[in-house]
Amino acid sequence: MKKKITIFLILGLLIYFIDILNNDDKYTKDIYISDQEINSLVIAWESQVGRKPNQNELINILNDYIQEEILYREALALGLDENDRIIKRRLAQKITFLKQETFLEKPPIDEIINFYKSNIDLYYINPTFSFTHYFFSNEENGKKRAEVFFEQLVNKTTLSKSDPFLLGKNFAYKSSDEIDRDFGMNFSNHFNIMQTDIWSKPIQSSFGFHIVKIVDKQEGYLPDIKDIFSQVELDYANNIKEQLLEKYIMDVRAEYNIIINPNFKIE
Amino acid sequence: MKYIKNVALLVVGLYVTTLFFIYLDLEEKRPIISLFKLFQSNSSLEVIDYALDETDKKKTPISSNKDRNAYYGDLHVHTKHSFDAYIFGVTASPDDAYSWAKGKTIKHPLGFDMKNDEPLDFYAVTDHGFFMGMMQAYADPSGKMSNYEFTKAFHNLNDPENVTVESAGQRSNIFSSILAAAIIDPYPLWHPKVIKAYFNNHTQFALRAFDDRIHKSAWADVARAAEEHNDPGTFTTFLGYEYTTSSDVEGGNLHRNVIFNSSKGPIRPWTRIDSINPEDLWTWQDNLRAKGVDSVAIPHNSNGSNGQMFEVESFYGEALDREYAEKRMRNEPIVEITQVKGTSDTHPLLSPDDEWADFEIMDRRVGSRPPTYSMPAGSYVRDAYLRGLTLEFMLQGNPYKFGLIGSSDTHVAAASFDESDFWMKVGVLDGTAENRGTVPLSEENIGRLEEYMQAFNQPDSTKTLEQGEYANTGFTQWGASGLAAVWSEENSRDSIFNAFKRKETFATTGTRMAVRFFAGYNLEKIDLDSDSLISEAYESGVTMGSELLHNEDKRHPQFIIWAQQDKNSAPLQRVQIIKGQMNMNSGKPSEKIYDVACSDGLEVDPITNRCPDNGARVNINDCSISKNVGASELKTLWEDPDFDPSQKAFYYVRVLENPTCRWSTWDAIKAGYKPREDLHETIQERAWSSPIWYIPAYEDIDVIPLGGTVELRNFD
Repeated sequence: MKKKITIFLILGLLIYFIDILNNDDKYTKDIYISDQEINSLVIAWESQVGRKPNQNELINILNDYIQEEILYREALALGLDENDRIIKRRLAQKITFLKQETFLEKPPIDEIINFYKSNIDLYYINPTFSFTHYFFSNEENGKKRAEVFFEQLVNKTTLSKSDPFLLGKNFAYKSSDEIDRDFGMNFSNHFNIMQTDIWSKPIQSSFGFHIVKIVDKQEGYLPDIKDIFSQVELDYANNIKEQLLEKYIMDVRAEYNIIINPNFKIE
Repeated sequence: MKYIKNVALLVVGLYVTTLFFIYLDLEEKRPIISLFKLFQSNSSLEVIDYALDETDKKKTPISSNKDRNAYYGDLHVHTKHSFDAYIFGVTASPDDAYSWAKGKTIKHPLGFDMKNDEPLDFYAVTDHGFFMGMMQAYADPSGKMSNYEFTKAFHNLNDPENVTVESAGQRSNIFSSILAAAIIDPYPLWHPKVIKAYFNNHTQFALRAFDDRIHKSAWADVARAAEEHNDPGTFTTFLGYEYTTSSDVEGGNLHRNVIFNSSKGPIRPWTRIDSINPEDLWTWQDNLRAKGVDSVAIPHNSNGSNGQMFEVESFYGEALDREYAEKRMRNEPIVEITQVKGTSDTHPLLSPDDEWADFEIMDRRVGSRPPTYSMPAGSYVRDAYLRGLTLEFMLQGNPYKFGLIGSSDTHVAAASFDESDFWMKVGVLDGTAENRGTVPLSEENIGRLEEYMQAFNQPDSTKTLEQGEYANTGFTQWGASGLAAVWSEENSRDSIFNAFKRKETFATTGTRMAVRFFAGYNLEKIDLDSDSLISEAYESGVTMGSELLHNEDKRHPQFIIWAQQDKNSAPLQRVQIIKGQMNMNSGKPSEKIYDVACSDGLEVDPITNRCPDNGARVNINDCSISKNVGASELKTLWEDPDFDPSQKAFYYVRVLENPTCRWSTWDAIKAGYKPREDLHETIQERAWSSPIWYIPAYEDIDVIPLGGTVELRNFD
């Protein structure tokens, strides 16, 4: 009789220890992303954007997911426990915020100046164009008329009629972005290769065809740091915050193994 | 000892006397000498210059065009400082709002990206003035407001882990019950804060839930962000806020946005707690104007006003007069005709002969619980114009001679104009297609929705249709609209603000169509194909927002209309003139719609005044549209075939695009469903110009309405 009880006791202890060992699973450093998981990520993305992601976008989605998973697990390790899909994402966000808050003191001026020097493209003022144009509307056989008109310009013969353009004839100090906003279809791309004071060949816009002459080009320039100091200071602080977070993620990520099916294809 | 006792008695005596006089004043039993009025100051009239003391940035010069450019913007944007936005999970700041407008992506409260592919030219953050900034203070569990019992429900409300779709019910409850009870809780009459409120003309001091320091700092944050992001020549911001008032009894929406013309503004916004009567708002604006701070108030959602936005009587039911008309027009030159909560051009019941009247109709009173029908008469812009003519006929002046803009009224800092990528406007509440009611609800969400709808006193939380149970949130009546557009010389505060004042504005439902509109008596001499068309039209005619006086030689007016499509949206289908007129003999107003230019070389039928069908169609399975149909621009010279020189009239332009999918259709097909059978599947995006008013010669009018006199006839 006593013997039986001992056996049960030993069995019980065994089960208990196995259980403890199994529980350790929670702290594994493997991230396994199943095909199903990827599919559901793709579907979620698609429902917001309206199309399937391309290769680069898929990599970004996965990276986001991995980042989220890592932050989630770190949060779990901190004891903020609860297994819910939404809580999971929220906890990840929370730790993101925590890591960003750690940088608060006023940064030294040298560092701000260095930041400005190494990020000049952020502050570069883009070139602007002042130009005039002849317009040939889509509504009245614009392409053909523009070609004829261009011939006449080149041969210096009498010019036929062009159309008025609703947004005007002469444009001053327009940046590439602004030109594209008014004309569409990456219209400004042509401007970079055009010479000042020479009529262009007909260029297509969303509304018809244009023969353009750049009258004046204001070269781009870099403003002095004194003039934009507060902006640089703000950008510097934001940058440090982002770096801190990135560093934190990279440090932790090194401890993880990431397992993804190498043969995965989007359905 | 006796001395101290005397002093104490004196102090108590003075205190009680003060209270007594305040009591008399508040209860409208005015004391014979309003002595205490002399000690009152008006805190809402203190002017602050919020300009940043920055050395002038080196900038590329601002280009100016005397023929004026079209600039697009939004004058109705809420951020976390608005009480409702904060409760609906919004943490985006005014800085985020302006960054978004300039092209940066920001996050929706539910975590997805809100992109802006096409930056705007101008933007104004207009948070609710009423309790501005207070919600954030309630949510802080360690702040000084946390001692109040009612703030418990707010604690940590917008911490990231609490901003979820599931929280919509709890949020609605806070919004409808807890907040509503808290904000009307005043201190007792003897409390020193009540005396302070009285002497500062600042009722909010007397409310427990209000803290002046927090309120002013939120307003200062709005002003600072506007100053920091204002970039003359490239991007214009305006200091502004929303005056959120409604009529006392029927809950008619009388909301207005107040937009200031410079970096100068009042130290605090003047709100519905100061007065719920918009006429008092105009007095305040007049007073500020006298101190050099100009502003315009822009009414919105007249559709949800139950006929009260464009009433024919005053707030207290008195007859309107010319003084009222002048005061209103001085302060409210423009009206928001379209936004997320529906379009207020006209209603099918008001305009039975307008085939395009049934467009984005939102037929409920704004914020009504339970949802209650809003009477169309007096709620729509076209009706207001006609009422203006009637009032003028009755010699009461015309208070409804306003121009038109659109705006979004987004509450998530980023406006949503794109039908195919629509996040609506109230954060957690309408951030998903299920909550918007465009795809069927999943099992678990039916129960959740019930809780949420109960908070809004709406017993029917769902609606059963072919494909399942849908949320009956009312959001299906909302839409992806609209934009404010101006014709101004340059992209700067002065230039754009002046366009508001002269009403040289137009509204679109979110796409960037452009429309020119001129009237005159010699316009046929202008070559429509000449580059000088616009400068000649400005020279010999008047443009949108103006009056056209009668012609000595009894000539009929001519109109030049020129519209251009949005390069990223559907081509144009037709351009129309909407005419309203007053029969000066019968006093009967009427309206008529003329198609004036058709796409694809089609001609207007002279009997029906309509263009033939251009054949543009939408494929509902994938939202693709007919190719090679429609026009990139439409341009015409038009004469009114029914013109009568003796009749007052207004003319405005409506530009219609070819049909495209409505946002609700996009929501459904993206989720693999068919669009709901009870909603419009497609819409025709459109633009409206501000009207031109024709003013006849007074000799031509020979009937005098009852009560009028011949002398009074000598108007204009």
